[in-house]
Amino acid sequence: MAERVILSIGTKKGLFVAEGAKSRRSFSLRGPFGTGVSVYSTLLDTRGAPRIYASSCNAFFGMKVLRSTDLGKTFKETKSCPAFPKEDGRALMNIWALEPGNGKKDLWCGVEPASLFRSEDGGDSWQLVDGISNHEHARKWHPGNGGLCLHTILPDGDRVHLGISTGGHYMSEDCGKTFAPANNGVGAGFLPDPYPEFGQCVHKIAGHKDAPGRLYMQNHGGWAEWDGPGGRRPDIGVLRSDDHGKTWRSIAKGLPSDFGFPIVVHPHDPDTVYVMPHEGMTRACPGGAPAAWRSEDGGDSWRKLAKGLPKKDSYFTVQRDGMDIDDLKTPALYFGTTTGQLWMGRDGGEEWTCLFDSLPPIHCVKVGVA
Amino acid sequence: MPQVTVFVPAPLRACSGGAAELRLEAPTVRAVLEDLERRHPGLYRSVCDETGAVRRHVNLFVNELHMRERDGLDTALVPGDKLTILPAVSGG
Repeated sequence: MAERVILSIGTKKGLFVAEGAKSRRSFSLRGPFGTGVSVYSTLLDTRGAPRIYASSCNAFFGMKVLRSTDLGKTFKETKSCPAFPKEDGRALMNIWALEPGNGKKDLWCGVEPASLFRSEDGGDSWQLVDGISNHEHARKWHPGNGGLCLHTILPDGDRVHLGISTGGHYMSEDCGKTFAPANNGVGAGFLPDPYPEFGQCVHKIAGHKDAPGRLYMQNHGGWAEWDGPGGRRPDIGVLRSDDHGKTWRSIAKGLPSDFGFPIVVHPHDPDTVYVMPHEGMTRACPGGAPAAWRSEDGGDSWRKLAKGLPKKDSYFTVQRDGMDIDDLKTPALYFGTTTGQLWMGRDGGEEWTCLFDSLPPIHCVKVGVA
Repeated sequence: MPQVTVFVPAPLRACSGGAAELRLEAPTVRAVLEDLERRHPGLYRSVCDETGAVRRHVNLFVNELHMRERDGLDTALVPGDKLTILPAVSGG
């Protein structure tokens, strides 16, 4: 069977799966799966036989992990879901991240309250990862507006990078056994200390397999006018590291706002990176005029990508996992909005088309070719 | 021990083998939940979180009364009592 482009779309009312040919001229929609229940994370796992995973975060009856082995035609619950030991005292409130691990069936899962779980059997059983979940800092982290969530898991060989809001960036160099904060240069606008050891509100971190050590971060920016303790903190929102996250520097110059949620790297070029700048107060694109922004030089300069998008009166938010890029030869960028539109930007965002305009509020979008 | 009936709402019947009602013997609401944890762990996890607390948006009624209007999890049961599991109303 010819390869298809698959979009897994997590919404407030369940998971949708869109499927189209590699031409990406049109997509058909299936779902919702886990009907009526919010999906904050999804994963297209193309190691071996393709699988789609999604969290199903039921405010009434708790969390589930859904799995499909037929490219999103049907979903079943995995045999178990991450859960804290009874004596721990914490209870699972949400599932924010599902990512592949090193082994063929290994999965990572980031949850709220900020903790990490690991599965070695494709999600049927889960173990709490003590190195971060019971880190000496764990009880000192505070929830941001979205809750105290471990939302980013970025495996890189023996390294594992984590993004925690609000905890900051933590890194393991021993396959996830132990973790340490690595936030040198990562600012916090809401703390007296502008550059604390930990406690930053990291929104998303992205890397690229062809650029070892290079990481990009969308941090909680929007503090250019701050007049509280410590003074103004401009440009702390979009950052880059070239040493595996040990130190970070701003690459926000040239953007209309350093606040935003997702950050995405081009699949074939580690110098090409995308963000979706929002205003801090509205959580919407500046002036109500949506645009993705692209840098092709690793963040030294930025270009606006808005052709085909509304020119005004659009006040949606694109959430932290609401943007992704496919890995075809000429990749398309995708983003989903809190007002239920799913947009596709051909040629890496050069020209935008609305694929679906009336879905439920979109939390996350992942794309894969399978 | 008193035999009681547990009503399972439709969204949770996948966890009870499709049964809308379960009959079991238990002297208190807490004992009912302990029985569910042993025999229907998926149903138990949907009603209680991993600390053992009844989930915030799940209500347990003993006959017509919410358990909080009785003695909570320690509410004593008598033969023929019906424990009803219901999701809390939600809207907006």
